[in-house]
Amino acid sequence: MCDAIKKEPLIKTVDLCKSFGDTLVLDHISENIYEGEKVVIIGPSGSGKSTFLRCLNLLETPTEGSVFFEGEELTRSSDLNEHRKKMGMVFQHFNLFPHLTVRKNITLAAVDARLHANRKQKLKIPKKQVIAEENEKAMALLKRIGLESKADAYPATLSGGQKQRIAIVRSLAMDPKVMLFDEPTSALDPEMVGEVLALMKELADEGMTMIVVTHEMRFAKNVSTRVLFMNEGKITESGTPQEIFEAPKDESLKTFLSKVL
Amino acid sequence: MSTLFFNNILAKTPAERFRSAFLVDDRWQLYFKGLGNTLIMSFFAVLIGIVLGVLLAIILYTNKKTGRLKILSAISNVYVTVIRGTPVVLQLFLMYFIVLMSVKNGIVVGSITFGLNSAAYVSEVARAGLESVDEGQMEAGRALGLSYPKTMIKIVLPQALRNMIPALFNEFIALVKETSVAGYVGITDLGKIPGLIQSRTFDYLFPLLFASLLYLVVVCLLTVVEKFLEKKFSKGDKKLVYKKRFGGKKKCATP
Repeated sequence: MCDAIKKEPLIKTVDLCKSFGDTLVLDHISENIYEGEKVVIIGPSGSGKSTFLRCLNLLETPTEGSVFFEGEELTRSSDLNEHRKKMGMVFQHFNLFPHLTVRKNITLAAVDARLHANRKQKLKIPKKQVIAEENEKAMALLKRIGLESKADAYPATLSGGQKQRIAIVRSLAMDPKVMLFDEPTSALDPEMVGEVLALMKELADEGMTMIVVTHEMRFAKNVSTRVLFMNEGKITESGTPQEIFEAPKDESLKTFLSKVL
Repeated sequence: MSTLFFNNILAKTPAERFRSAFLVDDRWQLYFKGLGNTLIMSFFAVLIGIVLGVLLAIILYTNKKTGRLKILSAISNVYVTVIRGTPVVLQLFLMYFIVLMSVKNGIVVGSITFGLNSAAYVSEVARAGLESVDEGQMEAGRALGLSYPKTMIKIVLPQALRNMIPALFNEFIALVKETSVAGYVGITDLGKIPGLIQSRTFDYLFPLLFASLLYLVVVCLLTVVEKFLEKKFSKGDKKLVYKKRFGGKKKCATP
């Protein structure tokens, strides 16, 4: 980690607070996430894990404090959409667009982003060409997960595991710098968890920066470089998987682990 | 006097009554002229209704979800309340005799009035439609870096429209028939024609039956369009997929 500390963190939160009404869900969280890290966030339900993750790309607006991405303060940025394009997000319930084919699901935002960028740089690349290139890229991504035959299918025809893997490649089509996973396997039937975790492990091995909220402790142990334990809106312990799982210090972490392991 | 009048009609054969309702002075043309005016008013009213109604709905929905557009949503709320709270005939009078008194063409006034009226109803239908779309859809769009308007147009609205179609057509069917109050300000729409003919022939029977039949045909055609659109928008619909996979037959899977 030593060389990483010298670098600017990819994502940084400073005194991040979020409350819903009178309930304080996030309590002054300051945390740095560096490029290449695979951070897994664990904790009991209601501890604020998902809210923390959703604050990182401002799907949830923080009540106080700030979030930095690549050194820019997102909470004050007027160009939030541009930053979000570089932060992939995968949801518990997949949130594929049911009215679009799998291919269109993958290319919709990517095509839009490229047309937007071209307009900004005053490049005159025809829309047709952009769409063709993105379609090709989508097919390559689908091939990678073995679902190229599903390109023209609608999401309703797919299994949960297939949907989630397509949701992951939909994010990948944007060439993100970091991927946020919000309990990506919690809504899946048990036999489909493996295929999604395998794809996530593949991404991790390729060096993708990942922040994962999950209850899959084995994934946390095997894939993560760092585990954050959250309890009552605070990160009460942070460390390597060995430190967290083999030598937990925090009492609530010990209780939590005794329940889930 | 009145007994004489009734005796007169009853003394005629049905064939004579039919002749005086349709053939004398080429009266049949009147029905179709009226139908034409009704269709023109309905068409533009539906157009205004859906565009303005969806716009109002988006304003109300956006305000509810994000807290933005406070002033616009307050205006929209007042608009919907006032329009839905007053009779359309009075709105028509207000437009024809006061607001749009400089517009000489009654059809134009009618189209605008019925359109503005319909928009208020459509806005509630559309708001319910928008709210029926899972919030995760907006989140997924935004997380991919799409702007709020783009996510709305490309992701949320198409799904909302699909859910809106039955209620929307309910409103449009009511609207087509509602345009018949246009006769109050002297527009010769289809609803006005039976009265016109009766004033010559003293016989309402066939004029009323035929005008009603024409309304019925228009409404049936609208229903056909509704079914077509429902089918078109149901791409990716779960039930349809199920139907395709199992050939629409319910098979009992009990062992």
